[in-house]
Amino acid sequence: MSTIPNVLVRSEFEATDITKADTGDVARKLTLFERISDMNSIRKLSILVLVIVAWEIYTRLSGVSELILPKFSATAAALFQAVTSEQLLAMVWNSMIVLVTGYVIGLVIATLLTTAATMTRFGNDVLSTLTAMLNPLPAIALLPLALLWFGLGADAIIFTLLHSVIWPVALNAHVGFMSVSETQRMVGQNYGLKGLVYVGKLLIPAAFPQILMGLKIGWAYAWRTLIAAELVFGGSISDTDDGAAGGLGWFIFSNQMELQIAHVFAGLFTVILVGVFVENVVFNAIENRTVRRWGMQAR
Amino acid sequence: MSTVSPRGKGSLPELVIRPEYEVSDIAQAQISEVAHKLSLIERIWNINGVRKAVILLGLVAAWQGYTVGFDVEPLMLPSFSVSITTLYNALFHGDLIYKIWYSVKVLLIGYSAGLIIAAILILWATANRFGSDFIAMATAMFNPLPAIALLPLAMLWFGLGTASLVFVLIHSVLWAVALSTHSGFENVSHTLRMIGRNYGLKGIKYVWKILVPAALPSILAGMKIGWAFAWRTLIGAELVFGASSGSGGLGWYIFESSQNIDTDGVFAGLFMVILFGIVVENVVFRNIELRTVNLWGMQR
Repeated sequence: MSTIPNVLVRSEFEATDITKADTGDVARKLTLFERISDMNSIRKLSILVLVIVAWEIYTRLSGVSELILPKFSATAAALFQAVTSEQLLAMVWNSMIVLVTGYVIGLVIATLLTTAATMTRFGNDVLSTLTAMLNPLPAIALLPLALLWFGLGADAIIFTLLHSVIWPVALNAHVGFMSVSETQRMVGQNYGLKGLVYVGKLLIPAAFPQILMGLKIGWAYAWRTLIAAELVFGGSISDTDDGAAGGLGWFIFSNQMELQIAHVFAGLFTVILVGVFVENVVFNAIENRTVRRWGMQAR
Repeated sequence: MSTVSPRGKGSLPELVIRPEYEVSDIAQAQISEVAHKLSLIERIWNINGVRKAVILLGLVAAWQGYTVGFDVEPLMLPSFSVSITTLYNALFHGDLIYKIWYSVKVLLIGYSAGLIIAAILILWATANRFGSDFIAMATAMFNPLPAIALLPLAMLWFGLGTASLVFVLIHSVLWAVALSTHSGFENVSHTLRMIGRNYGLKGIKYVWKILVPAALPSILAGMKIGWAFAWRTLIGAELVFGASSGSGGLGWYIFESSQNIDTDGVFAGLFMVILFGIVVENVVFRNIELRTVNLWGMQR
Protein backbone atom coordinates (compact mmCIF):
# COMPACT_ATOMS: atom_id res chain seq x y z
CA MET A 1 0.00 0.00 0.00
CA SER A 2 1.42 3.30 -0.99
CA THR A 3 0.81 6.42 0.98
CA ILE A 4 -0.90 9.46 -0.39
CA PRO A 5 1.71 12.14 -1.22
CA ASN A 6 1.67 15.28 0.86
CA VAL A 7 -0.79 17.82 -0.42
CA LEU A 8 0.93 20.97 -1.55
CA VAL A 9 -0.95 24.00 -0.36
CA ARG A 10 -0.12 27.15 -2.29
CA SER A 11 -0.39 30.43 -0.52
CA GLU A 12 -3.41 32.57 -1.38
CA PHE A 13 -2.84 35.72 -3.39
CA GLU A 14 -4.89 38.32 -5.12
CA ALA A 15 -4.27 39.59 -8.65
CA THR A 16 -3.85 43.30 -8.36
CA ASP A 17 -4.46 44.87 -11.73
CA ILE A 18 -7.20 42.67 -13.14
CA THR A 19 -9.01 45.71 -14.47
CA LYS A 20 -6.18 46.32 -16.88
CA ALA A 21 -6.73 42.93 -18.60
CA ASP A 22 -7.60 43.79 -22.12
CA THR A 23 -9.92 41.65 -24.21
CA GLY A 24 -9.05 43.36 -27.48
CA ASP A 25 -11.51 43.56 -30.39
CA VAL A 26 -14.24 41.03 -29.85
CA ALA A 27 -15.70 41.64 -33.25
CA ARG A 28 -14.61 44.06 -35.87
CA LYS A 29 -15.46 44.77 -39.43
CA LEU A 30 -13.07 43.21 -41.90
CA THR A 31 -11.52 45.53 -44.40
CA LEU A 32 -12.37 45.05 -48.05
CA PHE A 33 -8.92 43.54 -48.69
CA GLU A 34 -9.35 41.02 -45.89
CA ARG A 35 -12.77 40.04 -47.15
CA ILE A 36 -11.49 39.51 -50.69
CA SER A 37 -8.46 37.55 -49.55
CA ASP A 38 -10.73 35.33 -47.48
CA MET A 39 -12.28 33.99 -50.65
CA ASN A 40 -10.62 30.69 -51.45
CA SER A 41 -10.89 30.82 -55.21
CA ILE A 42 -9.51 34.35 -55.38
CA ARG A 43 -6.45 33.43 -53.35
CA LYS A 44 -5.79 30.40 -55.52
CA LEU A 45 -6.37 32.29 -58.72
CA SER A 46 -3.99 35.04 -57.63
CA ILE A 47 -1.30 32.44 -56.90
CA LEU A 48 -1.73 31.11 -60.42
CA VAL A 49 -1.50 34.60 -61.87
CA LEU A 50 1.54 35.32 -59.70
CA VAL A 51 3.34 32.22 -60.97
CA ILE A 52 2.54 33.10 -64.57
CA VAL A 53 3.71 36.69 -64.13
CA ALA A 54 6.91 35.52 -62.43
CA TRP A 55 7.54 33.11 -65.29
CA GLU A 56 6.97 35.79 -67.94
CA ILE A 57 9.17 38.35 -66.15
CA TYR A 58 11.93 35.83 -65.49
CA THR A 59 12.07 34.69 -69.11
CA ARG A 60 12.04 38.27 -70.39
CA LEU A 61 14.65 39.69 -68.02
CA SER A 62 17.13 36.85 -67.72
CA GLY A 63 17.22 36.33 -71.46
CA VAL A 64 17.01 32.59 -70.98
CA SER A 65 17.06 30.75 -74.29
CA GLU A 66 13.70 29.99 -75.87
CA LEU A 67 14.98 26.45 -76.24
CA ILE A 68 15.37 26.04 -72.48
CA LEU A 69 12.32 27.85 -71.19
CA PRO A 70 9.94 29.65 -73.55
CA LYS A 71 7.97 32.69 -72.42
CA PHE A 72 4.49 32.10 -71.09
CA SER A 73 3.07 34.27 -73.85
CA ALA A 74 4.89 32.18 -76.46
CA THR A 75 3.52 29.01 -74.86
CA ALA A 76 -0.02 30.35 -74.87
CA ALA A 77 0.38 31.40 -78.50
CA ALA A 78 1.72 27.93 -79.34
CA LEU A 79 -1.24 26.32 -77.61
CA PHE A 80 -3.65 28.52 -79.54
CA GLN A 81 -1.88 27.79 -82.80
CA ALA A 82 -1.78 24.05 -82.10
CA VAL A 83 -5.48 23.98 -81.34
CA THR A 84 -6.51 26.04 -84.36
CA SER A 85 -4.17 24.84 -87.07
CA GLU A 86 -2.26 21.74 -85.92
CA GLN A 87 -5.09 19.41 -85.02
CA LEU A 88 -4.18 19.23 -81.36
CA LEU A 89 -7.82 18.53 -80.52
CA ALA A 90 -7.87 15.63 -82.97
CA MET A 91 -4.75 14.25 -81.27
CA VAL A 92 -6.39 14.55 -77.86
CA TRP A 93 -9.40 12.78 -79.33
CA ASN A 94 -7.18 9.97 -80.69
CA SER A 95 -5.64 9.52 -77.26
CA MET A 96 -8.99 9.56 -75.51
CA ILE A 97 -10.50 6.93 -77.82
CA VAL A 98 -7.66 4.52 -77.11
CA LEU A 99 -7.79 5.34 -73.40
CA VAL A 100 -11.54 4.87 -73.07
CA THR A 101 -11.49 1.63 -75.07
CA GLY A 102 -8.78 0.18 -72.84
CA TYR A 103 -10.40 1.48 -69.67
CA VAL A 104 -13.83 0.08 -70.44
CA ILE A 105 -12.59 -3.35 -71.51
CA GLY A 106 -10.37 -3.40 -68.41
CA LEU A 107 -13.35 -2.60 -66.20
CA VAL A 108 -15.39 -5.42 -67.74
CA ILE A 109 -12.60 -7.95 -67.17
CA ALA A 110 -12.01 -6.67 -63.64
CA THR A 111 -15.73 -6.98 -62.89
CA LEU A 112 -15.79 -10.57 -64.14
CA LEU A 113 -12.72 -11.47 -62.08
CA THR A 114 -14.07 -9.86 -58.92
CA THR A 115 -17.49 -11.43 -59.31
CA ALA A 116 -15.88 -14.84 -59.70
CA ALA A 117 -13.74 -14.10 -56.65
CA THR A 118 -16.71 -13.23 -54.45
CA MET A 119 -18.69 -16.29 -55.48
CA THR A 120 -16.13 -19.07 -55.09
CA ARG A 121 -13.10 -19.63 -52.95
CA PHE A 122 -11.10 -20.83 -55.93
CA GLY A 123 -11.85 -17.57 -57.77
CA ASN A 124 -10.80 -15.68 -54.67
CA ASP A 125 -7.46 -17.49 -54.58
CA VAL A 126 -6.86 -16.97 -58.29
CA LEU A 127 -7.59 -13.26 -58.04
CA SER A 128 -5.42 -12.65 -55.00
CA THR A 129 -2.51 -14.57 -56.52
CA LEU A 130 -2.78 -12.72 -59.82
CA THR A 131 -3.14 -9.26 -58.28
CA ALA A 132 -0.26 -9.84 -55.87
CA MET A 133 1.91 -10.81 -58.82
CA LEU A 134 0.79 -8.43 -61.53
CA ASN A 135 -0.21 -5.29 -59.62
CA PRO A 136 3.42 -4.32 -58.88
CA LEU A 137 4.35 -4.81 -62.55
CA PRO A 138 4.31 -1.47 -64.38
CA ALA A 139 2.09 -1.84 -67.43
CA ILE A 140 4.55 0.05 -69.60
CA ALA A 141 7.07 -2.77 -69.12
CA LEU A 142 4.68 -5.01 -71.07
CA LEU A 143 4.71 -2.68 -74.07
CA PRO A 144 7.69 -4.38 -75.78
CA LEU A 145 5.89 -7.73 -75.49
CA ALA A 146 2.60 -6.20 -76.64
CA LEU A 147 4.33 -4.73 -79.69
CA LEU A 148 5.72 -8.17 -80.47
CA TRP A 149 2.36 -9.90 -80.10
CA PHE A 150 -0.02 -7.35 -81.59
CA GLY A 151 2.29 -5.39 -83.86
CA LEU A 152 2.61 -1.63 -83.98
CA GLY A 153 -0.86 -0.29 -83.48
CA ALA A 154 -3.62 0.70 -81.14
CA ASP A 155 -4.06 -2.96 -80.13
CA ALA A 156 -0.69 -3.02 -78.39
CA ILE A 157 -1.49 0.14 -76.42
CA ILE A 158 -4.93 -1.15 -75.50
CA PHE A 159 -3.34 -4.36 -74.20
CA THR A 160 -1.01 -2.41 -71.91
CA LEU A 161 -3.88 -0.14 -70.82
CA LEU A 162 -5.95 -3.22 -69.93
CA HIS A 163 -3.15 -4.43 -67.78
CA SER A 164 -2.82 -1.08 -66.05
CA VAL A 165 -6.55 -0.89 -65.25
CA ILE A 166 -7.54 -4.46 -64.37
CA TRP A 167 -5.33 -5.09 -61.34
CA PRO A 168 -5.84 -1.94 -59.28
CA VAL A 169 -9.59 -2.00 -59.96
CA ALA A 170 -9.96 -5.70 -59.18
CA LEU A 171 -7.77 -5.41 -56.09
CA ASN A 172 -9.69 -2.48 -54.62
CA ALA A 173 -13.12 -3.87 -55.49
CA HIS A 174 -12.20 -7.18 -53.91
CA VAL A 175 -10.89 -5.58 -50.73
CA GLY A 176 -14.05 -3.46 -50.66
CA PHE A 177 -16.29 -6.51 -51.04
CA MET A 178 -14.45 -8.36 -48.31
CA SER A 179 -14.89 -5.52 -45.85
CA VAL A 180 -18.66 -5.11 -46.35
CA SER A 181 -20.09 -5.46 -42.88
CA GLU A 182 -21.66 -8.75 -41.87
CA THR A 183 -24.89 -6.96 -40.94
CA GLN A 184 -25.38 -5.68 -44.48
CA ARG A 185 -24.59 -9.09 -45.91
CA MET A 186 -27.20 -10.68 -43.69
CA VAL A 187 -29.75 -8.06 -44.70
CA GLY A 188 -29.10 -9.04 -48.31
CA GLN A 189 -29.50 -12.72 -47.51
CA ASN A 190 -32.67 -11.95 -45.64
CA TYR A 191 -34.10 -10.46 -48.80
CA GLY A 192 -33.14 -13.65 -50.58
CA LEU A 193 -30.57 -11.95 -52.82
CA LYS A 194 -28.23 -14.40 -54.46
CA GLY A 195 -25.49 -14.53 -57.07
CA LEU A 196 -25.33 -11.57 -59.43
CA VAL A 197 -28.27 -9.76 -57.86
CA TYR A 198 -26.55 -10.01 -54.48
CA VAL A 199 -23.36 -8.53 -55.96
CA GLY A 200 -25.18 -5.79 -57.90
CA LYS A 201 -27.69 -4.71 -55.27
CA LEU A 202 -25.74 -5.18 -52.10
CA LEU A 203 -22.00 -5.61 -52.43
CA ILE A 204 -21.37 -2.92 -55.06
CA PRO A 205 -23.24 -0.09 -53.29
CA ALA A 206 -21.77 -1.07 -49.93
CA ALA A 207 -18.22 -1.21 -51.25
CA PHE A 208 -18.58 1.77 -53.59
CA PRO A 209 -16.07 4.08 -51.86
CA GLN A 210 -13.38 1.44 -52.29
CA ILE A 211 -14.45 0.63 -55.85
CA LEU A 212 -14.32 4.31 -56.76
CA MET A 213 -10.83 4.55 -55.32
CA GLY A 214 -9.81 1.62 -57.51
CA LEU A 215 -11.37 3.32 -60.53
CA LYS A 216 -9.42 6.50 -59.78
CA ILE A 217 -6.11 4.68 -59.33
CA GLY A 218 -6.82 2.67 -62.48
CA TRP A 219 -7.47 5.90 -64.37
CA ALA A 220 -4.27 7.47 -63.06
CA TYR A 221 -2.20 4.44 -64.08
CA ALA A 222 -3.90 4.21 -67.47
CA TRP A 223 -3.36 7.91 -68.19
CA ARG A 224 0.32 7.68 -67.28
CA THR A 225 0.77 4.49 -69.26
CA LEU A 226 -0.92 5.95 -72.31
CA ILE A 227 1.23 9.08 -72.33
CA ALA A 228 4.39 7.03 -71.82
CA ALA A 229 3.44 4.56 -74.55
CA GLU A 230 2.70 7.37 -76.97
CA LEU A 231 5.94 9.10 -76.09
CA VAL A 232 7.77 5.97 -77.14
CA PHE A 233 5.90 4.56 -80.05
CA GLY A 234 3.22 7.17 -80.68
CA GLY A 235 4.01 7.94 -84.28
CA SER A 236 3.76 4.35 -85.38
CA ILE A 237 0.55 3.83 -83.49
CA SER A 238 -1.16 6.80 -85.04
CA ASP A 239 -4.33 6.39 -86.98
CA THR A 240 -2.86 7.81 -90.16
CA ASP A 241 -5.95 7.42 -92.31
CA ASP A 242 -7.39 10.82 -91.50
CA GLY A 243 -4.03 12.53 -91.42
CA ALA A 244 -4.23 13.28 -87.71
CA ALA A 245 -0.94 11.80 -86.62
CA GLY A 246 -0.59 10.19 -83.23
CA GLY A 247 -1.89 11.19 -79.85
CA LEU A 248 -1.06 13.74 -77.20
CA GLY A 249 2.13 12.00 -76.08
CA TRP A 250 3.35 11.92 -79.64
CA PHE A 251 2.62 15.64 -79.99
CA ILE A 252 4.95 16.32 -77.06
CA PHE A 253 7.65 13.96 -78.27
CA SER A 254 7.72 15.08 -81.89
CA ASN A 255 7.80 18.74 -80.90
CA GLN A 256 10.65 18.08 -78.52
CA MET A 257 12.53 16.37 -81.34
CA GLU A 258 12.01 19.46 -83.48
CA LEU A 259 13.02 21.70 -80.55
CA GLN A 260 9.65 23.44 -80.59
CA ILE A 261 9.79 23.88 -76.84
CA ALA A 262 6.83 26.25 -76.66
CA HIS A 263 4.78 23.51 -78.29
CA VAL A 264 6.09 20.98 -75.76
CA PHE A 265 4.80 23.22 -73.00
CA ALA A 266 1.50 23.60 -74.83
CA GLY A 267 1.24 19.80 -74.96
CA LEU A 268 1.99 19.56 -71.23
CA PHE A 269 -0.74 22.12 -70.51
CA THR A 270 -3.18 20.04 -72.50
CA VAL A 271 -2.18 16.92 -70.55
CA ILE A 272 -2.75 18.82 -67.30
CA LEU A 273 -6.10 20.15 -68.51
CA VAL A 274 -7.36 16.70 -69.51
CA GLY A 275 -6.14 15.23 -66.21
CA VAL A 276 -7.71 17.99 -64.13
CA PHE A 277 -10.95 17.64 -66.09
CA VAL A 278 -11.21 13.89 -65.52
CA GLU A 279 -10.22 13.98 -61.86
CA ASN A 280 -12.10 17.09 -60.79
CA VAL A 281 -15.13 17.04 -63.06
CA VAL A 282 -15.85 13.44 -63.99
CA PHE A 283 -14.87 11.68 -60.78
CA ASN A 284 -16.18 14.49 -58.59
CA ALA A 285 -19.56 14.26 -60.30
CA ILE A 286 -19.63 10.50 -59.75
CA GLU A 287 -18.71 11.00 -56.09
CA ASN A 288 -21.36 13.65 -55.61
CA ARG A 289 -24.05 11.46 -57.07
CA THR A 290 -23.11 8.31 -55.19
CA VAL A 291 -20.94 8.06 -52.10
CA ARG A 292 -21.47 11.63 -50.91
CA ARG A 293 -25.21 11.58 -51.44
CA TRP A 294 -25.38 8.27 -49.62
CA GLY A 295 -23.38 9.78 -46.78
CA MET A 296 -20.52 7.30 -47.06
CA GLN A 297 -17.78 9.87 -47.51
CA ALA A 298 -17.25 13.21 -45.87
CA ARG A 299 -17.56 16.43 -47.83
CA MET B 1 -62.82 0.61 -43.04
CA SER B 2 -59.87 2.70 -44.06
CA THR B 3 -58.31 4.57 -41.18
CA VAL B 4 -56.58 7.88 -41.53
CA SER B 5 -52.86 7.60 -40.98
CA PRO B 6 -51.29 9.75 -38.23
CA ARG B 7 -49.88 12.21 -40.75
CA GLY B 8 -53.27 12.72 -42.25
CA LYS B 9 -52.29 11.83 -45.82
CA GLY B 10 -53.24 8.62 -47.58
CA SER B 11 -54.69 5.58 -45.91
CA LEU B 12 -53.21 2.50 -44.36
CA PRO B 13 -53.62 -0.70 -46.40
CA GLU B 14 -56.08 -3.20 -45.06
CA LEU B 15 -54.66 -5.92 -42.87
CA VAL B 16 -54.49 -9.40 -44.35
CA ILE B 17 -55.04 -12.13 -41.84
CA ARG B 18 -53.53 -15.41 -42.94
CA PRO B 19 -55.16 -18.62 -41.79
CA GLU B 20 -53.40 -20.53 -39.04
CA TYR B 21 -51.79 -23.84 -39.92
CA GLU B 22 -49.59 -26.43 -38.32
CA VAL B 23 -46.51 -28.03 -39.80
CA SER B 24 -47.29 -31.70 -39.65
CA ASP B 25 -44.00 -33.48 -40.22
CA ILE B 26 -41.68 -31.35 -38.13
CA ALA B 27 -40.31 -34.49 -36.54
CA GLN B 28 -38.78 -35.45 -39.85
CA ALA B 29 -36.58 -32.37 -39.94
CA GLN B 30 -33.15 -33.75 -39.57
CA ILE B 31 -30.08 -32.17 -38.20
CA SER B 32 -27.18 -33.43 -40.25
CA GLU B 33 -23.64 -33.76 -38.99
CA VAL B 34 -22.87 -30.86 -36.70
CA ALA B 35 -19.16 -31.40 -36.76
CA HIS B 36 -17.14 -33.83 -38.73
CA LYS B 37 -13.48 -34.50 -38.98
CA LEU B 38 -11.83 -33.02 -42.06
CA SER B 39 -9.90 -35.42 -44.16
CA LEU B 40 -6.17 -34.83 -44.60
CA ILE B 41 -6.71 -33.46 -48.13
CA GLU B 42 -9.35 -31.04 -46.94
CA ARG B 43 -7.09 -29.85 -44.15
CA ILE B 44 -4.18 -29.30 -46.53
CA TRP B 45 -6.45 -27.60 -49.06
CA ASN B 46 -7.62 -25.24 -46.30
CA ILE B 47 -4.14 -23.78 -45.91
CA ASN B 48 -4.08 -20.52 -47.82
CA GLY B 49 -0.47 -20.73 -48.93
CA VAL B 50 -0.91 -24.23 -50.33
CA ARG B 51 -3.89 -23.24 -52.47
CA LYS B 52 -2.07 -20.20 -53.83
CA ALA B 53 1.09 -22.19 -54.52
CA VAL B 54 -1.02 -24.75 -56.39
CA ILE B 55 -2.58 -21.99 -58.49
CA LEU B 56 0.83 -20.54 -59.22
CA LEU B 57 2.17 -23.97 -60.18
CA GLY B 58 -0.91 -24.52 -62.33
CA LEU B 59 -0.28 -21.26 -64.20
CA VAL B 60 3.36 -22.14 -64.75
CA ALA B 61 2.44 -25.66 -65.89
CA ALA B 62 -0.19 -24.28 -68.28
CA TRP B 63 2.36 -21.86 -69.74
CA GLN B 64 4.98 -24.57 -70.11
CA GLY B 65 2.49 -27.07 -71.49
CA TYR B 66 1.09 -24.59 -73.99
CA THR B 67 4.47 -23.49 -75.33
CA VAL B 68 5.92 -26.99 -75.52
CA GLY B 69 2.76 -28.81 -76.58
CA PHE B 70 1.71 -26.40 -79.31
CA ASP B 71 5.28 -25.75 -80.41
CA VAL B 72 4.87 -21.98 -80.08
CA GLU B 73 7.48 -19.89 -81.80
CA PRO B 74 9.94 -19.05 -78.95
CA LEU B 75 10.41 -15.56 -80.35
CA MET B 76 6.74 -14.86 -79.63
CA LEU B 77 6.36 -16.71 -76.34
CA PRO B 78 9.32 -18.60 -74.89
CA SER B 79 8.61 -21.48 -72.54
CA PHE B 80 8.80 -20.95 -68.79
CA SER B 81 11.89 -23.10 -68.38
CA VAL B 82 13.80 -21.13 -71.01
CA SER B 83 12.81 -17.83 -69.39
CA ILE B 84 13.95 -19.02 -65.98
CA THR B 85 17.24 -20.28 -67.40
CA THR B 86 17.81 -16.94 -69.07
CA LEU B 87 17.03 -15.17 -65.81
CA TYR B 88 19.48 -17.41 -63.93
CA ASN B 89 22.22 -16.83 -66.49
CA ALA B 90 21.62 -13.08 -66.62
CA LEU B 91 21.70 -12.85 -62.84
CA PHE B 92 24.72 -14.99 -62.14
CA HIS B 93 26.74 -14.86 -65.34
CA GLY B 94 25.55 -11.61 -66.87
CA ASP B 95 25.29 -8.06 -65.62
CA LEU B 96 21.58 -8.00 -64.74
CA ILE B 97 22.45 -7.52 -61.06
CA TYR B 98 24.33 -4.28 -61.86
CA LYS B 99 21.44 -3.06 -63.98
CA ILE B 100 19.01 -3.69 -61.14
CA TRP B 101 21.34 -1.91 -58.74
CA TYR B 102 21.57 1.05 -61.10
CA SER B 103 17.76 1.29 -61.30
CA VAL B 104 17.37 0.96 -57.55
CA LYS B 105 20.00 3.61 -56.90
CA VAL B 106 18.30 6.14 -59.18
CA LEU B 107 14.93 5.23 -57.69
CA LEU B 108 16.13 5.72 -54.12
CA ILE B 109 17.77 9.07 -54.89
CA GLY B 110 14.64 10.33 -56.64
CA TYR B 111 12.27 8.96 -54.03
CA SER B 112 14.09 10.38 -51.03
CA ALA B 113 14.66 13.74 -52.71
CA GLY B 114 10.94 13.84 -53.53
CA LEU B 115 10.02 13.02 -49.93
CA ILE B 116 12.31 15.75 -48.58
CA ILE B 117 10.89 18.38 -50.91
CA ALA B 118 7.36 17.25 -50.07
CA ALA B 119 8.16 17.55 -46.36
CA ILE B 120 9.49 21.08 -46.79
CA LEU B 121 6.45 22.15 -48.81
CA ILE B 122 4.10 20.62 -46.27
CA LEU B 123 5.87 22.35 -43.37
CA TRP B 124 5.44 25.62 -45.20
CA ALA B 125 1.77 24.80 -45.80
CA THR B 126 1.11 24.16 -42.12
CA ALA B 127 2.90 27.37 -41.17
CA ASN B 128 0.76 29.79 -43.15
CA ARG B 129 -2.27 30.11 -45.33
CA PHE B 130 -0.40 31.24 -48.42
CA GLY B 131 1.68 28.06 -48.31
CA SER B 132 -1.44 25.97 -47.89
CA ASP B 133 -3.07 27.63 -50.89
CA PHE B 134 0.07 27.19 -52.94
CA ILE B 135 0.23 23.45 -52.15
CA ALA B 136 -3.44 22.98 -52.97
CA MET B 137 -2.99 24.78 -56.28
CA ALA B 138 0.24 23.02 -57.25
CA THR B 139 -0.96 19.52 -56.37
CA ALA B 140 -4.23 20.04 -58.22
CA MET B 141 -2.26 21.05 -61.29
CA PHE B 142 0.72 18.72 -61.22
CA ASN B 143 -0.76 15.55 -59.75
CA PRO B 144 -2.73 14.72 -62.92
CA LEU B 145 0.36 15.37 -65.07
CA PRO B 146 2.14 12.08 -65.75
CA ALA B 147 5.77 12.54 -64.72
CA ILE B 148 6.99 10.75 -67.82
CA ALA B 149 5.56 13.58 -69.97
CA LEU B 150 8.19 15.84 -68.40
CA LEU B 151 11.01 13.58 -69.54
CA PRO B 152 11.53 15.37 -72.87
CA LEU B 153 11.87 18.67 -71.01
CA ALA B 154 14.09 17.14 -68.34
CA MET B 155 16.45 15.82 -70.97
CA LEU B 156 16.64 19.27 -72.47
CA TRP B 157 17.38 20.91 -69.13
CA PHE B 158 19.61 18.36 -67.48
CA GLY B 159 20.99 16.49 -70.46
CA LEU B 160 20.93 12.78 -71.02
CA GLY B 161 21.76 11.20 -67.71
CA THR B 162 20.83 10.32 -64.20
CA ALA B 163 19.93 13.94 -63.36
CA SER B 164 16.97 14.00 -65.71
CA LEU B 165 15.73 10.63 -64.46
CA VAL B 166 15.95 11.91 -60.88
CA PHE B 167 14.07 15.09 -61.85
CA VAL B 168 11.23 13.06 -63.34
CA LEU B 169 11.14 10.72 -60.34
CA ILE B 170 10.98 13.67 -57.93
CA HIS B 171 8.03 14.98 -59.87
CA SER B 172 6.24 11.62 -59.70
CA VAL B 173 6.73 11.27 -55.94
CA LEU B 174 6.39 14.85 -54.75
CA TRP B 175 2.79 15.62 -55.71
CA ALA B 176 1.27 12.30 -54.70
CA VAL B 177 2.90 12.50 -51.25
CA ALA B 178 2.19 16.22 -50.79
CA LEU B 179 -1.46 15.80 -51.78
CA SER B 180 -2.26 12.97 -49.39
CA THR B 181 -0.17 14.40 -46.54
CA HIS B 182 -1.85 17.77 -46.90
CA SER B 183 -5.34 16.28 -46.87
CA GLY B 184 -4.31 13.97 -44.02
CA PHE B 185 -3.16 16.96 -41.95
CA GLU B 186 -6.39 18.79 -42.65
CA ASN B 187 -8.43 15.85 -41.44
CA VAL B 188 -6.62 15.54 -38.08
CA SER B 189 -9.36 15.85 -35.50
CA HIS B 190 -9.71 19.03 -33.54
CA THR B 191 -9.45 17.17 -30.25
CA LEU B 192 -5.97 15.95 -31.12
CA ARG B 193 -4.91 19.42 -32.24
CA MET B 194 -6.14 20.96 -29.00
CA ILE B 195 -4.30 18.31 -26.97
CA GLY B 196 -1.15 19.35 -28.78
CA ARG B 197 -1.74 23.01 -27.99
CA ASN B 198 -2.48 22.11 -24.41
CA TYR B 199 0.97 20.58 -24.17
CA GLY B 200 2.36 23.80 -25.58
CA LEU B 201 3.63 22.16 -28.77
CA LYS B 202 4.41 24.61 -31.54
CA GLY B 203 5.97 24.75 -34.98
CA ILE B 204 7.93 21.71 -36.06
CA LYS B 205 7.36 19.92 -32.76
CA TYR B 206 3.61 20.28 -33.18
CA VAL B 207 3.80 18.87 -36.69
CA TRP B 208 6.08 16.00 -35.71
CA LYS B 209 4.41 14.96 -32.47
CA ILE B 210 0.75 15.54 -33.31
CA LEU B 211 0.04 15.97 -37.01
CA VAL B 212 2.39 13.33 -38.42
CA PRO B 213 1.33 10.45 -36.16
CA ALA B 214 -2.34 11.38 -36.48
CA ALA B 215 -2.19 11.57 -40.27
CA LEU B 216 0.20 8.65 -40.75
CA PRO B 217 -2.31 6.35 -42.48
CA SER B 218 -2.86 8.83 -45.28
CA ILE B 219 0.84 9.78 -45.39
CA LEU B 220 1.68 6.10 -45.85
CA ALA B 221 -1.00 5.77 -48.51
CA GLY B 222 0.58 8.73 -50.31
CA MET B 223 4.03 7.21 -50.00
CA LYS B 224 2.75 3.94 -51.47
CA ILE B 225 1.10 5.68 -54.40
CA GLY B 226 4.24 7.80 -54.83
CA TRP B 227 6.34 4.64 -54.88
CA ALA B 228 4.03 3.01 -57.43
CA PHE B 229 4.18 6.08 -59.68
CA ALA B 230 7.95 6.36 -59.29
CA TRP B 231 8.51 2.69 -60.11
CA ARG B 232 6.28 2.92 -63.18
CA THR B 233 7.90 6.15 -64.27
CA LEU B 234 11.41 4.80 -63.85
CA ILE B 235 10.72 1.66 -65.88
CA GLY B 236 8.97 3.75 -68.52
CA ALA B 237 11.76 6.31 -68.66
CA GLU B 238 14.42 3.62 -68.93
CA LEU B 239 12.44 1.87 -71.63
CA VAL B 240 12.56 5.05 -73.65
CA PHE B 241 15.84 6.70 -72.95
CA GLY B 242 17.66 4.30 -70.64
CA ALA B 243 20.77 3.61 -72.61
CA SER B 244 21.61 7.26 -72.95
CA SER B 245 22.13 7.46 -69.21
CA GLY B 246 25.31 5.42 -69.18
CA SER B 247 24.99 1.81 -68.14
CA GLY B 248 21.19 1.59 -68.25
CA GLY B 249 18.89 -0.12 -65.79
CA LEU B 250 16.26 -2.81 -65.62
CA GLY B 251 13.91 -1.07 -68.05
CA TRP B 252 16.73 -0.76 -70.53
CA TYR B 253 17.49 -4.47 -70.15
CA ILE B 254 13.88 -5.25 -71.16
CA PHE B 255 13.98 -2.85 -74.08
CA GLU B 256 17.35 -4.10 -75.30
CA SER B 257 16.16 -7.70 -75.14
CA SER B 258 13.02 -6.88 -77.07
CA GLN B 259 15.03 -4.99 -79.70
CA ASN B 260 17.25 -8.05 -80.13
CA ILE B 261 14.08 -10.18 -80.33
CA ASP B 262 15.43 -11.99 -77.30
CA THR B 263 11.97 -12.60 -75.85
CA ASP B 264 13.15 -14.86 -73.01
CA GLY B 265 15.32 -11.94 -71.89
CA VAL B 266 12.19 -9.74 -71.84
CA PHE B 267 10.46 -12.27 -69.61
CA ALA B 268 13.52 -12.52 -67.36
CA GLY B 269 13.42 -8.72 -66.96
CA LEU B 270 9.70 -8.77 -66.25
CA PHE B 271 10.23 -11.42 -63.56
CA MET B 272 12.76 -9.18 -61.85
CA VAL B 273 10.43 -6.16 -62.08
CA ILE B 274 7.60 -8.18 -60.50
CA LEU B 275 9.90 -9.58 -57.83
CA PHE B 276 11.26 -6.19 -56.86
CA GLY B 277 7.78 -4.69 -56.81
CA ILE B 278 6.48 -7.47 -54.56
CA VAL B 279 9.42 -7.08 -52.18
CA VAL B 280 8.88 -3.34 -51.80
CA GLU B 281 5.09 -3.50 -51.48
CA ASN B 282 4.72 -6.62 -49.35
CA VAL B 283 7.91 -6.51 -47.30
CA VAL B 284 9.01 -2.90 -46.92
CA PHE B 285 5.66 -1.10 -46.76
CA ARG B 286 3.93 -4.00 -44.99
CA ASN B 287 6.55 -3.86 -42.22
CA ILE B 288 6.28 -0.10 -41.87
CA GLU B 289 2.52 -0.47 -41.55
CA LEU B 290 2.77 -3.28 -39.03
CA ARG B 291 5.14 -1.25 -36.87
CA THR B 292 3.16 1.98 -36.98
CA VAL B 293 -0.47 2.31 -38.01
CA ASN B 294 -1.40 -1.31 -37.32
CA LEU B 295 0.43 -1.29 -34.01
CA TRP B 296 -1.31 1.93 -33.00
CA GLY B 297 -4.67 0.48 -33.99
CA MET B 298 -5.37 3.09 -36.67
CA GLN B 299 -5.78 0.60 -39.46
CA ARG B 300 -6.75 -3.02 -39.60
